[in-house]
Amino acid sequence: MTDIAITVNGELRKASVPSETTLLQLLRDNFQLTGAKLGCDVGDCGACTVIVDGAAVNACLMLAVQAEGRDIITIEGLANRQVFHPLQQAFEESGALQCGFCGPGVILSAKALLDENPDPDVYEIRDALAGNLCRCTGYTKMIEAVQNAARILRGEPEISSRMISR
Amino acid sequence: MKRRGRGIGCMWYPIGFTVAANPSAATVKVNEDGTATLLTGTVETGQGALTVLAQIAAQALGIATDDVHVVSADTDATPMDTGAIASRTTYVTGNAVRLAAENARTILFEAAADLLRVKPGQLEAKDRKIQVKGYPQRCVDIADIAGHAQTKLGQPPIGTASWNPPTVAMDPETGQGQPFSTYVYATQIAEVDVDDETGEVEIVRIVAAHDCGTAINPMLVEGQVEGGIAMGIGYALQEEILFDDKGRQVNPNLTNYIMPTSLDVPDIDVSIVSNTDPTGPFGAKGVGEPTSVPTAAAILNAIHDAVGVRVHSLPATAEKVLAAIKAKRAAEQRQIAG
Amino acid sequence: MNERVKLQEADRVEAKTPEDLRRADEDLRLPAIAPREQYPIDVRAPEAREQTNAVGQRATRPDNRLQGLGQLKYIADFSFPGMLFARIKRAGIAAARIVRIDTSAAEAMPGVMAVLTGSEIPVNSFGPSYQDQPVLAQDRVFHAGDGVAAVAAVTEQIAEEAVERIVVEYEPLPAVFDPIEAMRDDAVRVHEDGSNIYTSKTIRKGDIEKGFADSYRIFEETFRTQMVEHVPLEPHAAIADWDANGRVTIWSTLGRITLGRADIARTLKMPMSRIRIAGTIVGGNFGGKNEITQEPVLALLSKKTGRPVKGTYSREEEFLATTTRHPFIMDYKTGVTKEGRILARKIRLVLDGGAYCSWSETTLGKACILSSGPYKVENLLVEAFAVYTNKTMTGAMRGFGAPQVCFAYESQMDDIARALDIDPLEIRLRNAFDEGAISPTGQVLHSVVVKESLAKAAERFGWEARTP
Repeated sequence: MTDIAITVNGELRKASVPSETTLLQLLRDNFQLTGAKLGCDVGDCGACTVIVDGAAVNACLMLAVQAEGRDIITIEGLANRQVFHPLQQAFEESGALQCGFCGPGVILSAKALLDENPDPDVYEIRDALAGNLCRCTGYTKMIEAVQNAARILRGEPEISSRMISR
Repeated sequence: MKRRGRGIGCMWYPIGFTVAANPSAATVKVNEDGTATLLTGTVETGQGALTVLAQIAAQALGIATDDVHVVSADTDATPMDTGAIASRTTYVTGNAVRLAAENARTILFEAAADLLRVKPGQLEAKDRKIQVKGYPQRCVDIADIAGHAQTKLGQPPIGTASWNPPTVAMDPETGQGQPFSTYVYATQIAEVDVDDETGEVEIVRIVAAHDCGTAINPMLVEGQVEGGIAMGIGYALQEEILFDDKGRQVNPNLTNYIMPTSLDVPDIDVSIVSNTDPTGPFGAKGVGEPTSVPTAAAILNAIHDAVGVRVHSLPATAEKVLAAIKAKRAAEQRQIAG
Repeated sequence: MNERVKLQEADRVEAKTPEDLRRADEDLRLPAIAPREQYPIDVRAPEAREQTNAVGQRATRPDNRLQGLGQLKYIADFSFPGMLFARIKRAGIAAARIVRIDTSAAEAMPGVMAVLTGSEIPVNSFGPSYQDQPVLAQDRVFHAGDGVAAVAAVTEQIAEEAVERIVVEYEPLPAVFDPIEAMRDDAVRVHEDGSNIYTSKTIRKGDIEKGFADSYRIFEETFRTQMVEHVPLEPHAAIADWDANGRVTIWSTLGRITLGRADIARTLKMPMSRIRIAGTIVGGNFGGKNEITQEPVLALLSKKTGRPVKGTYSREEEFLATTTRHPFIMDYKTGVTKEGRILARKIRLVLDGGAYCSWSETTLGKACILSSGPYKVENLLVEAFAVYTNKTMTGAMRGFGAPQVCFAYESQMDDIARALDIDPLEIRLRNAFDEGAISPTGQVLHSVVVKESLAKAAERFGWEARTP
């Protein structure tokens, strides 16, 4: 067993796990953060994408011990009690997800992109999502949603502002 | 050199099972506050079926989509449904939902007729009210009438119905019959660039015009078309399960089984062909499977248009396209020499 | 998983003063899971959901909201106290007689709670048309992805290791992989009890001989398609929980629960009222989750152990042990007038069904009916055969044979257009169904908009006629 301390969604978390435990297992089994999904377990599909120190990473390929001391953001850490993250809002409004299994990974890859590049063009968005397989949507509405979210994040007038708080 | 080509894929596709009965049942309960709960045995597999069914129930009751909560996929609680298969949910389950909602509405009409002192046949459900046709100011809120039906008439507004598409069995010798109740139609046009040095195919854009009868939810229809096309692209150019000579799969993983990523799917222009089918719920048919049907045909025809070679087998990998181009050149050389 | 235990151990060593004890106590009060408050609790739905004219609205999906938050629970996200994990051993050989299955080493492993083989399954067969598929292969293996035994263990890893320790002795049998070869009278039989051609269909209309005789030109070509996988992002998953009343609840990724329950009841030989199938949102189906797979195995393992048992397919199993799309071999012979009108068509379809029938009958039927395209063809003969081979079974997949035949009829349509110097759009408009057209099965078609769809797509594309 190996002791691990990492920051998950801004909170210090500790666990003691077998050394072969992946970051994905740590998040899903130990911390019960099941937003990151297991789709292939070998880094092909991107359903397990989380953000590690600002970069989108396949959590199935990273050992939990490699995440020691690092800062992890999972899909559960994007929204707060008042508002959705603009990506979550835009994905809902555009109907960008269908079965949704790839969704958390896609949204986190998009977040990592927008954190670096607030005004990406379509090709840059396609490039950022290239590691996240989706079988349902053809990616079309996802790309539209990332563009809308980028606009919201840049403070530009939204294409839509229908998600009003009660 | 990259050569550009265009190709058409046109298709028709049936809704529901081939002859075999494939019924759906549904229950709609109008709650005391005027909202409704829909029970369906179908399963949401990502296409947005439950939202479409909620829209159908809402339309029949004159309430909003958000007013309808859908309970699904539990054999202990939800009625029989053939399931999320054969592009049948909007059409078959949708018809069952519409009829169930109408049955619940009949109870609301009876209760309202009592209060508004008209015949039930003179009433309609609209804007969360039951109102007299032609006299919308003579109305009662569904919220009030639902409670009234329950507590005063002792008749909770619950409707149940089932629906099965009518078919006629096919003659075993000639295949003549009416295997399906309805069909949808669609055309996709692909534009591609083919590199005649490498055989590589890049899809520039795809235009799709799909019939689904009434589009209950155009956003979800577009999503189906875009996703179906992506799957069609993989079928046309990339995907293939390969076997060794002992019948074992060679590439059972996503490293070596190549499917489309965000870089492989081009701009897709989706149009919904205006149409309405009187046999469907509010004129709707379906859209799930057909979206993926004509894509490969359109792409392979575009390849032919670009470089003049007919690839007779899928997928049209770069190797296959290049081999066809080389064979064509060799044949042309022979013709010149001969 | 053992955070609490570990803290308690640390506690024993370090706690000396009341302060230490209090600190340790505070540590112990650390929540075991992340607090669940990372989502807004009061955000309204977008306007389209509030419209009382609901049909035609671009209404958003409430399930989409949960997906985007990572809050939607798929079957793999479910967990129950005492839950075990199942793995299935795959044959890895395409055709064989099973001589012996030795599970003793697996059973002896610490953490292994139960092992199951085919002989323990009350009715070891299923299938939507023919019940030709064993839940777990018992005497014979029909394709390399067949399951031969299953294990339930306290962790997935132990289950995986236990599966490795199951020894199966096979007597290899001759196999056939090519559908055309499999159609021959002297071919190796995939299933002992009958021909490899397990279903066939015919459509006959008009007089094709006369049609061909009247034709200006006749085109003959063969088209082939490959085997593909549905690749839903969510692998098949299910959890079975057998309770003390003899009722079993199965949470499953199954796309058709009512009929799935009937199939499961049959294999378990138990009343349907004692089986509950419950689902959540399926993480992609495309036809691949329309049949039961591991559900009876998990139910029996749960019965054996008295614990809930979860099974999740690996990505590899998704390829090896679930249905795929039929490879087709399609011979098309088409006679046309000088103007490109189809006069006669003769079509022969051979479907590679793999080891089991699954949804082949449906696929064959739809492929036949649709095989001449959305076009008026008065003289038609379609003959189609579904054939067993010792390969992964094929089944329902988005389009039930339609993508295959569409590739063939549309390729040939372009070849005809090219040969006759007609624009590809024009030749389709000349042949397309109109409202009230008669289908190949003699059905009068309604709400037909083939020409409208051609015109709409051409307009959006900016199609300009040019001879090919």
